[in-house]
Parts: sequence; structure tokens; C-alpha cells
Amino acid sequence: MIKIWSIKKDNSSAEKKKPKVSAAQIRVQKDLTELALPETMQMTFPDEHDLLNFNLSITPDEGFYRGGIFRFTFNINNNYPHDPPKVRCIQKIYHPNIDLEGNVCLNILREDWKPVLNLNSVLVGLQYLFLEPNADDPLNKDAAEDLRTNRKNFEYNVKQSMRGKDVKGVYFENVLS
Amino acid sequence: MKVKIKSWNSVAIWKWDVPNEEVCGICRVAFDGCCSTCKTPGDDCPLIWGECSHVFHMHCLLRWLATEGSRGQCPMDRKAWVTAK
Ligand SMILES: [Zn+2]
Ligand SMILES: [Zn+2]
Ligand SMILES: [Zn+2]
Repeated sequence: MIKIWSIKKDNSSAEKKKPKVSAAQIRVQKDLTELALPETMQMTFPDEHDLLNFNLSITPDEGFYRGGIFRFTFNINNNYPHDPPKVRCIQKIYHPNIDLEGNVCLNILREDWKPVLNLNSVLVGLQYLFLEPNADDPLNKDAAEDLRTNRKNFEYNVKQSMRGKDVKGVYFENVLS
Repeated sequence: MKVKIKSWNSVAIWKWDVPNEEVCGICRVAFDGCCSTCKTPGDDCPLIWGECSHVFHMHCLLRWLATEGSRGQCPMDRKAWVTAK
């Protein structure tokens, strides 16, 4: 006969000693093991014990943004996966879907987030933003207008911005690798 | 060699009657385990089915529905969540 009560008591005292691993941490751990990171992406953890805060760099190998390194921070709160990760671009870049403060306009990071999505879905979404910037849902209206009206001009301005030059009086960060 | 059974321990195995999916899409823990906030599988951590036929740990689904971003929708298809009877 197993004494359920005594087992439960033992468990609870063991838990007090160990720092509790949150459901969010468990889920992130699962996401990370399922992650298929393409060669164009790199993840770094400033604090190896903290899986909820990390950096991601993207080096697109095609499209307008080819040749740059774009750096993002990920902050995941304890309500993950019910809340989406908070993703920010830490450089000032010229992109229709990323504003000058680094806020990212990606539907799955906002209104279309679902808790059945995972970090892989977010990475695929970010990758896509660099391959196919979208003028229909802009955070940087100037860049969106540029892309919509004159792709050649947009391409030129992106290259200028990536070299740390100014576009229409706004200076951008040099992101060339 | 002859074996004589002296004692007999029966071990009960139970399983939720779940069709295709074997893990909860929210916490990604198997349905015959409990969600990541619970400790013991079984009645303490029941499953819940929606009319859309999607199934989750009840605890996982309730936490989602309590999150503002859910807008009362199924975590899988984002249709209005209606619990199946
Ligand atoms: Zn679950
Ligand atoms: Zn539970
Ligand atoms: Zn559903």
C-alpha cells in the first residue's frame, strides 16, 4: 500500500528547496529542442540560466536586406505561451514593418498569436519579413510608401540605410557584416 | 522449469479517449500526462473538448481564455470556443 499522503508531503518539501520551474520555462525548453534554426539565424543567451530572455541575429541570404546582420531581443513572460514573446529590433533600420524604435509589426506577435504557436513560428515570421517586406501593414509609413511606389528606389534606400547613411534625413545604423 | 505464481500485482493503465493528437497544443505535454502546472495525472487535470473538436488540458485552456488576447477563441482555429457536451 502506497502512502499517498506521505509522498505528497515529501514532494512539497523537495519543491521548496528547488527553485520552481514555471510552465512558461518548460514550454520554452520544449520549443528550443524542436527548433530548426536555419543558417541565417543565430541565437545567444546572455544568461545561460535564463531561457526566457535571449538574442537573435538574422543574416538574410537573399532579398533587399541581404548582407546585413539584424539583431533582435526576445523577452518571454511567465504567461507564455498565452502571451506572445516580446520581440524588438535593437538597431535603427529602414523597414516598412519595423519602426525606428524597433517595434515589429508581425501579425503572429500581435492579434494573431495563438498559444499553439511556438518560437519556430516566430522565427519563420521574422525571416519572412526580411525576404518579403510588406507595404500593406506598415509601421514605417515612409518606407512602405517607398516600397509601394518604387521598388528600385526602395532597394537603393535600404542599401543606403544598411551602410549607416541617411534616408530622407534620418540616419540609420550600419548593419553590414 | 516450473513457475508458480505466488502473488499477483495488477497494474491499472488508463488512457484518455483522444483521437489523432497526442499532446496538448498549449503546453505540449502528452494528454495522458498532466499539464505543466499540475503534478499528478488523472482526475486532477482533466481534458476539455470544444465543439470544433479540438482538445486541450482544461487548465491550459482556461488560462488561455483568461488571457486578453484569446478573445474567447479556440487556441487552434480561433473560432469562438464552445465546450462540447
Ligand atoms: Zn496542456
Ligand atoms: Zn493541469
Ligand atoms: Zn478549435
